[in-house]
Amino acid sequence: MGWVTNGDDRDTTIGELAELAAPFDALYASLWTQSHVPADVLELCRLRLAQLHRCAVELQRQEIAIPAGKTAHLAHWDTGSLFSPAERACLAFTEVYAMDVQALTDQHADAVKMHFGDAGLVLLVEALGILDGMTRLSLLWQLAAAPTQPPGQLL
Amino acid sequence: MTGGPRAVNPNNPSGNMIRDSALGLVPETLDYYAALNRKIWECGPLTPSEIEIARLRNARTVNCVFCKSVRYDIAKADGLSEDKVAMIQDDFRGSDLSKREKLIVAFTDQFLANPRGLTEQLKTELLAEFTSKALVHLSLVVAHFSGFSRCAVSLGGMPDELPIMEISLPQ
Repeated sequence: MGWVTNGDDRDTTIGELAELAAPFDALYASLWTQSHVPADVLELCRLRLAQLHRCAVELQRQEIAIPAGKTAHLAHWDTGSLFSPAERACLAFTEVYAMDVQALTDQHADAVKMHFGDAGLVLLVEALGILDGMTRLSLLWQLAAAPTQPPGQLL
Repeated sequence: MTGGPRAVNPNNPSGNMIRDSALGLVPETLDYYAALNRKIWECGPLTPSEIEIARLRNARTVNCVFCKSVRYDIAKADGLSEDKVAMIQDDFRGSDLSKREKLIVAFTDQFLANPRGLTEQLKTELLAEFTSKALVHLSLVVAHFSGFSRCAVSLGGMPDELPIMEISLPQ
């Protein structure tokens, strides 16, 4: 259980304020059904954010099923050929976004646009804003990871 | 700051700040984004001036020139003055901000700088001042505006400086 509410996860914590939970849920759901960036690419970016924030509860979350080989090697996406050029462009953008958004360059953006266009870049930064924010809140709310699903291999 | 914007919305301006921005390139999320933005301002227990304090503290830290230059009219109508905005600085703890306002700034800083490092003292002070609903509202305010300002920075084309601009809540 976190300290902000009696809820023990993100949904029940945000659910404390139903007037905002419904529009937030609708926006969050729309990220995974839009047509500009594949949902599995977004999921890789979400998991990479969780790794960089060392957030166990967000590493346990699964929005989209990702092959185990990819999750196991996600921290080393830039070596080998397991990840596609499009995935690599988005993961490179995600890493800089997470560390210092001011350090993003036109080259980072162009690499994403090469695969997904202007709209794909916009969707990616919109999604990263939401995913980064939720990861930070999971940490700040001190939500606990489920004990039966150790996230160690991803950390 | 960079040169030009990294994504451009080629559609004719509608007068709606969010729809005319690059976010308008992604219609699948646009209405949901705008709806959440309105609800954040209108439907939580925090007052508009309290929301604006958190939003401006975030804008200052993320260094989003656009976000820093904006003042929402509903926050000004709620009593947020430029004198109070000027207190949202590094030395805010010694300012004339109220205890509640200082806690809003401290919570925003914790989210931005070290979300895993919340101290027992700050947690105790927050729980003594805010209801659970208010803490959830404050959390979503900070997360929402952090994402918005990082989005604006990521998409480039940000000028070095802008004058203060008063705006209304986009429809």
